[in-house]
Amino acid sequence: MIHLFLSFLYALMATLGFSIIFHVPLRHFPVVAFIGAAGWTIYQICTAYDMSVVMSCFLSSFAVGLFSDLASRFFKDAATIFIIPGILCLVPGSGIYNSMLQLVNGNLKGGALTCGQTLAMAGSIALGLLVVGAAIRIIVAITRKAVNIASKL
Amino acid sequence: MTEQTSKQINDQKNKKILILAVRAGEIMMKSGAEIYRVEDTIERICKACNIPYVDVFATQTGGIFVSLDSGGDKSDMFTYIKRIKGSGDTDLTKISEINRFSREFTTTDLSVEEGMKRLKEIDHIKPMPFAIRLLGAALVASFFSLIFGGNILDFVCAFFIGGFSYLLSGFLSRYSINYFIRGLCCCAAAAFLALLASAVIPGADYSAIIIGTLMIFVPGVAITNSIRDFLSGDMLSGLARATEAFIIAISLAVGAGMVLTLWYSVGGVFI
Repeated sequence: MIHLFLSFLYALMATLGFSIIFHVPLRHFPVVAFIGAAGWTIYQICTAYDMSVVMSCFLSSFAVGLFSDLASRFFKDAATIFIIPGILCLVPGSGIYNSMLQLVNGNLKGGALTCGQTLAMAGSIALGLLVVGAAIRIIVAITRKAVNIASKL
Repeated sequence: MTEQTSKQINDQKNKKILILAVRAGEIMMKSGAEIYRVEDTIERICKACNIPYVDVFATQTGGIFVSLDSGGDKSDMFTYIKRIKGSGDTDLTKISEINRFSREFTTTDLSVEEGMKRLKEIDHIKPMPFAIRLLGAALVASFFSLIFGGNILDFVCAFFIGGFSYLLSGFLSRYSINYFIRGLCCCAAAAFLALLASAVIPGADYSAIIIGTLMIFVPGVAITNSIRDFLSGDMLSGLARATEAFIIAISLAVGAGMVLTLWYSVGGVFI
């Protein structure tokens, strides 16, 4: 539990750093930091429940996409502002480093393995965002239609 | 004669609208917005000025192409091609402000001149002061080194090394060095300093420091935007950004890998 809390805190600070670098509007700092930290904590929880890293990446990026979309609707601002700093914690920087390390040590097999895993993680992050985006589009379209029909009645 | 002058006035007005719309799109694209948002903003601004026929085509690494026609038999068609080379620094405040501006422009009757003035103000929004951005980069590096299993020593080392490599990146981008070489140099410097630190300070782990510093330069913006471009059907821009992300990742790995190989092969003889 303490481990989860610590990783939440670390991710919070790291996302704050990204928000500074990418110049997020000051009024959105707390929300952005929370989204990034929540994404990373969900990743940690998923790996603690013995899910594969790819699945964990998918679920956490799904969460980040969902939170960002809710925030963008709530604050009436572009979703990109919340997604870009939020997703950065999940980008597999350690995967890049580890596969490079294996290759440098002449371990081609291990390098290919880690590289493949890193690519799969990046792909699953992408997939998570894609699924959220598509689902929200469908939901918005349906509610709009429902509202239209209701107003006609 | 009066018809002639009224046509001229109309042409002048259309030209101004066109410039305003393209300017807004350009700022957005340079600040790292998705293509869908750029095209949508331009179209909305033109539609708000009662121009019925607008077509926009924008691509990453390409430019913005807009043509508009105010309808009727006598009107001319206007086309503006804005070539945008490379992308500027990601600045989410600018995207947010332009977003707000376009909403305001379409709902209230802001004149084109006033809109142009607002756009200029938005374009001149300064990024955070460099010292604060340096602190941000240092925060990112240090806390990621903790996340990836570093201890308090790594935290302190990564804080300074991350700050230094961001400083180097800022220095290199001032001389418009291309992004591949920039990523490579920054990561190589970070790896070298991390190895040095771990050799000098007992108990410091260079892996955690290097990963922490790597995270500053990781292509998160390119990945996110490429997904969002793919989602809205802009395959060309999506592919361009995915390629960019891939190449940046390679540059980071090569930078750190080069230094590690050299260090191993020399065997830390000097220390």
